[in-house]
This record gives sequence, C-alpha cells and structure tokens, in this order.
Amino acid sequence: MKSGSLGGYVVRRLIQTVPVVLGVVIVNFLLLQLAPGDLATVLAGEAGGAPKEYIDQLRARFGHDQPVYIQLFNYLRNLIVLDLGYSFRQSAPVFDLLMQRLWPTLLLMVCTLVLSLGFGILMGLLAALWVRTWKDNAISVAAIIVYATPLFWVGLMLILVFSIRLDWFPTSGMEDVVAFHEGWARVADIAHHLVLPTLTLSLFYLALYARLMRASMLEQRGLDYVVTARAKGQSERRITTRHVFRNALLPVVTMAGVQTGGLIGGSVVVESIFAWPGLGQLAYQSLFARDYNLLLGIFFLSAVLVVVVNLIVDVVYVFLDPRIRIG
Amino acid sequence: MRFVGRFAIAVLAVGVGIGAFAAAGPAVAQKRGGTLVQVTQPEPPTLGSYISTASPVGQVAAKVYDGLLEYGFDLKPIPSLAQSWTIADDGRTITFRLRPGVKFHDGRPFTSADVQFSVMEVLKKVHPRGINTFAEVTAVETPDPMTAVFRLAKPAPYIMSALSGYESPMLPKHIFEQGDIRTHQNANNPIGTGPFKFVEWRRGEFVRLDRNPDYWKPGLPYLDRVVVRFIGDTATRAAALEKGDAHVAGLGAVPYNDVKRLERLPNIQIETRGSEMLSPVVELMFNTRKAPFDNPKVRQAISYAIDRKFVIDNIWFGFGRPATGPISSNFAPTGLYSANVANYNVPDGVERANRLLDEAGFPRRADGTRFEIVHDITPYGEEWRRFGEYTQQALARIGIRATTRYEDVATWLKRTYTDYDFDMTSNWLFNLADPVLGVHRAVHSRFIRQGTVFVNGARWGDARADELMDLATVETDATRRAAQYAEVQKIVAEAAPLAWVLEVNFPTVIDRRFRDVIVSPLNIFTNFDRAWRE
Repeated sequence: MKSGSLGGYVVRRLIQTVPVVLGVVIVNFLLLQLAPGDLATVLAGEAGGAPKEYIDQLRARFGHDQPVYIQLFNYLRNLIVLDLGYSFRQSAPVFDLLMQRLWPTLLLMVCTLVLSLGFGILMGLLAALWVRTWKDNAISVAAIIVYATPLFWVGLMLILVFSIRLDWFPTSGMEDVVAFHEGWARVADIAHHLVLPTLTLSLFYLALYARLMRASMLEQRGLDYVVTARAKGQSERRITTRHVFRNALLPVVTMAGVQTGGLIGGSVVVESIFAWPGLGQLAYQSLFARDYNLLLGIFFLSAVLVVVVNLIVDVVYVFLDPRIRIG
Repeated sequence: MRFVGRFAIAVLAVGVGIGAFAAAGPAVAQKRGGTLVQVTQPEPPTLGSYISTASPVGQVAAKVYDGLLEYGFDLKPIPSLAQSWTIADDGRTITFRLRPGVKFHDGRPFTSADVQFSVMEVLKKVHPRGINTFAEVTAVETPDPMTAVFRLAKPAPYIMSALSGYESPMLPKHIFEQGDIRTHQNANNPIGTGPFKFVEWRRGEFVRLDRNPDYWKPGLPYLDRVVVRFIGDTATRAAALEKGDAHVAGLGAVPYNDVKRLERLPNIQIETRGSEMLSPVVELMFNTRKAPFDNPKVRQAISYAIDRKFVIDNIWFGFGRPATGPISSNFAPTGLYSANVANYNVPDGVERANRLLDEAGFPRRADGTRFEIVHDITPYGEEWRRFGEYTQQALARIGIRATTRYEDVATWLKRTYTDYDFDMTSNWLFNLADPVLGVHRAVHSRFIRQGTVFVNGARWGDARADELMDLATVETDATRRAAQYAEVQKIVAEAAPLAWVLEVNFPTVIDRRFRDVIVSPLNIFTNFDRAWRE
C-alpha cells in the first residue's frame, strides 16, 4: 500500500462526509420544528412573564416569523461559511460558544477513551489468559456489575466517598474558583478535578471493552491460524502477542469508534453531575430552552466529530490487519 | 404634600434604621477579604438584566449594577444611587437627587444622563417588566448632572417599588448607547456602579466578580470576590454546599428536602427571610371559560378541598404560609393586603366542597365520581410533581377524578397561555414589589393576552375589580389605595379564578462562615456589599 493512496483515501472520505453532515443538519432542522413551544415563549417564561409586544419583538428578531423553508435556506447558506448563527438565548455567536465548550468535552472524551480502552483491553486480555480461573471470574463479575450500574449513581457515590467522606477530590467543576491557580498549578488543578468524572464515564466503557476483548480473544484462540502457528513451533507468548491479540483488537476498535457518538451522549449525565463545562450540558440546556441555533450547531459539531473518529478507526484497521485494504 | 411627607419620614426612619443596624450588629467586627461562592441554577442565558428578568440573570447581575433605590424588609425605599427624592402632589413628577462622585467600573462618572438613558432607552423599551412599569413615564429630564426628573402621564406609585438594581439597573450610557441594545456586546460584559466588577464568565462553569475598590459606599464591600458557580445536578449542588466548596444557594437552587437535610449539618444555616419583595405564590389556575370550571361553585369547591397546611408541611417542608387570596400577606406592612376575604382554609373544607359540587349540578355517580379532568403540573421540579399527586388525591376525596400531565416548560407554557388547552393547572406567580406589577397580570381582564406567559391564563375578569385596579394604579393616597385593593381581594377571592395555596418563603442555604448575606427583601437578587466572611 502506497502512502499516497492513504492520503487520497482520507481526502475522498472527507469529501464524502459533506453530504452526510448536510443530511444530518437538514433532518435535525426539520425535526426540531416539530417540538411544541419556541424560544420566545421560553425566554418569556423564564422571565416570569412578558408583554405580548415583547414576545413579538423577540420572534421577529429570531427570524421565527418567516416560513420554515426560508429559515432552513438561510441556515444552510450561512453554514457554508461556517457561520452557525447567533444564540439569542446566550447572547453570543454559536461558533464561539461551541469552541469554548469543545475542549473540556474533548479532554474528558480522550481521557475516558484512553483509560477505558487501555484498561478494558488489559482486563479482557488477562481474563482470557486466565480463563475459567477465579481471577477470570473476578474480572468478569466485576465487569458485569459495573456495566449494569447506572452512570449517575456511580458518579454520586464517587462524590460521596472520595469527595465528602475522604476529601481527596473536589465535588464538581473544572477548577478551583476560590484560588484561581495559574500556569502549571492550574494544569494540576484541572487534572485533580478531572479524576472523578473520567473515572465515572470510563467505568462503563471499561467493563464493555473488557468483556468484548475477552470474548474476542477466546474466539481467535480457537481459530486455525493459531493451530498453524503452534505447529510452526512458535511460543504461546508470541502467538498471543503477535497473532491473537492484534486480531482480537479489531472488534474492540470498531466498538470504540461506534461509541464515540454515544460517549458525547453519556457525557451529558457525567457533565451534569460533575458540573463539567462541556458540550453535553450545553446540548441539554439548549434543548429545553428551544435554542435551535445552538442545538443545530451542537448536532453539526458532533456529526463532524463522529465522522472524523470513524475515519480514524478505518485508518487504524489498516495498521492492525494488513489484509484490510482501503480505497 | 401628604405623600411627600410620608416619604421624607420613611427616608429618615430608614436612615436611622441603618445606623441602628450597624451599631446593633454582631459583636464581632466585620472582616475584609474572602471569596464567596454562590450556586445559581440554572446557568443564566445572559447577564443583561436590563433585557431578561430570568431569575439566574438577576442573581448575578445585581452584584454589578446598582439601582436608584434599595429596599428594607418593610418594603420601604432606601437611598442608593438616588440620595433623596420628592414626589409632586399630583403624583406626576418624581425628582431624584443623585449621589455625586459615583463612578462606573470603567472610571466614568455616573450622572443623570445615565438615568435618562437607562429608563427611557432601555428599561421602557426592552425590559420585559419595564415596558409596563415605566409605561406612564413620558420623559426623564436632566436639569443638571445630579438631578433626574421623571415626568409621568398619570401617577404611578408602583414605580417607587421597582427601582432596585435588580429590577431597574442603571446602565452606563456611554457604553450601551452604541449599537443595538438587544444584541449589545456588553450584555455579557456588564459595567455598572455596583460593589463587584465583572471579570470573567466561563460558560458552563462560573462567573467571576471581583471587589470594586472604588465602590461609593465607604469601606464596602467586605468580600474580595464573588464567584457564581453553575452545577446542573441537584445532588451535586447539595454535596458542594455540604463540603464547603460552595457557600450560598437560594431561590430554589436546592430542593426543599435537601434543605431539610443540610439544615442539620453544623456548617450550614438556613435563612428564610428575603422573599418579601418577590412574594411567590403557589396556586391552582382554572380554565374559567371551559366547563366545569366556568362555574364559580366548582372553583370554590376545589379551593376548599386543598388542605394548605398539609401541602406546606409535607411538600414544601414547612417553607411557606397559607395563601388567602390574590395578594400576598407580604404586603401587610404597606397596607395593601387584606385578610377580609372568603376563607377557603377551613377544617370542614371537604364537606363544604362536596356540598358546593352537589349544588353546582355535579352529583356523585354510581362509582362515586362526579366528573373527570386533566390536571397539568407546573414543570418546575419534584415538589411540583408531589403537589400534583396530592391535588389528584384531594380531588378524589370530593369525587373528581383527575389525570395528571407533566410536560416540559416550553410545551406547558404554550398549552396554558397560548392554546388554553387545559382544565386546571398548578401555577407559580410572583407578586413582585407591587400589586400593579405582580397581581393585576393574573386577575385583570386587560391581561387576558393570548401568547403572553404568566398573565391571566384563567381568562377571568370582573368589571368592578378591573375598575378598582385601574383606580389603584394611579392612586397616590396610601389609605385609599389600600381600600381599593381590599375590595379587589374580596371580589376575586369570592370568584376564585385561582385557588391560592401557599406563599413560599424561599430558604437560602448559607455556609456559617459567611454573615449578612440576606439583608434585603430581594433575597440574593442583591449585591452582597455587606456580606463578610469570618
């Protein structure tokens, strides 16, 4: 495989994403029109009431007094130049809001992915090696318990134990708002705040990947090529690391790719419990406020994110399994 | 001159009151320094309190913007940016003498031009309540930089109750006159004259406000910093307060059952004062244009059937008082509240309710029920669900089978105030600083306005009550005004377009290390200039 073809493939895939993302935007736009109530009523409701003149004023300003197809056309036209519009509720451009919230979400997502994939694969691997021993049983039972426990409960219990009782970690937030550290102290402070949310979000996925990895390892070990390798006189250690492990990773990587979308969804819960200033919370708030510009911006960004992650996963396949070709 | 005289005395009395307060305060001296972390829920959509009256906005912005006046627990005005004021005999001219030497956070002086701009160009035009409050103000004249004269088309005594920094913030003209006020870039970068300067708003996290060293009140504020944090999860909010990560939360940010639990902790105190100028009332609103609620006897029956004490003790955990009618008893000090109305809070309420329903022509059928309705629940959280379930049971006792419905806020508002597609809904209405601002909207027929929220959704009206409310709107004599409202309350309570259930006293959860946090009837819609940390 030439390196030029990989570059060409990535470019081609990126071009293919355009209609996908566009489709997502249009469908979401139309679906949101079905929700009862609009931003103007919500704003007036939050204000504890407002005169009719004020509400009409708002609607005209939001452009909600125009037909839906014109609103959609305007939105798409602006989207071409990455103008995601203005959030009237938050009094700020949508793009700026998204960029502010993107990096806490990415930080949480990347840490979670690293932790859950790393430990999940390791646990699955160990369980498979120790299959049908008490160690395997311990890992499997622990994985099932964690998998079956709701995220919000895990989060609250971690706060109760490690924050309130033991006082090791802060209850919530991304940094200390009394001290306002700077420089490296701030990095350390954010890392300190990151521990509990990452742990909460990771546990679920960790359990999932561990179970998947274990099953996949066991399946691969029974296949013919392992028998062949063994007949060639390769050591069990080498068979496991060179052959079985790499092949067993494929389903786990696929799953991880598919679940990045879900990770954004799962982080709504975790972000809200730990007051983590990410996209998930923003999406939740803007849905209930009928802040469609902002919500569409979030959908757009997560669609892009999912598409990009899946592209990365496809590229990773090539390195894991030389049989897979791209193009 | 009687009215002016009374105000002059009030000013004097309040002045003495402040002196006494300072002298008789806690034995320990107030200390400078410290950061107070306030929890506000949900995160405000904007910090432009001149364009949004949503509760979270005021909780933050009131620390940055001052008003012309402040208010004591007796609801009487206290000088603030206005040092003194006189109201003409005909009630159509109000002259404010402004405080000299006050500076905005950018160093520019505060003058009458800012008052004129704030009232005429901003509050009267884009403030959701200001449009009504300042409707009668035709001009604000500025004969000199320290004098602002309000010219009114008709007397509007309620204006004097609506000039706090929360309700009517004074904005710097030189900043906000440029560009469109509705999308002004300084909405989220507020510049006022208040004790705390805006530093930073990190979305989803916090707003940071630092001490204004040039604040016009000498020696104040005591605190170095106020940080307002946003924590979406209810349990986490309580945990942050319990651990001392956060220090103040109020106006419903902590659910009542959590308040009861936190109250037992040694590091927490609960303050229940500070709702006097908000006067939130929990009520049931009937669709009076739809059978069976077009019959006053049915509405009265339900008013009788609700056991207010039970609701207060078990659903609002004791943080309330029974409501008697359309005007909150918080107005008792001003004389506008009257208890001389039909009393629905009686021990034999259920029997009376059953009798009324029989008379109204809804006898019990074979299965014991009289008719069926859908009861909508205000979508504001757990206690409302509980209240909805209680109401369902209370109605069952008088033979009404109610099905409950709980939707999200936008859907509920549309159903109740635009489509009028409801039988009976629970509701939440603030009486605010004056009946003209907070009560007329619920019971005056002028406020039957389709598409406008928190107005007369019951669509009930009475010609005599309307007339009295119109008179009271322009009545400058306090005694006559009280008499007019007494009659309004009698008429409205008798007709029962709403069943008033309880007046809520918002509990504020406060870390014991902090003192003098709630010092006004505006709860935490105040500026914390006197709050201090031990």
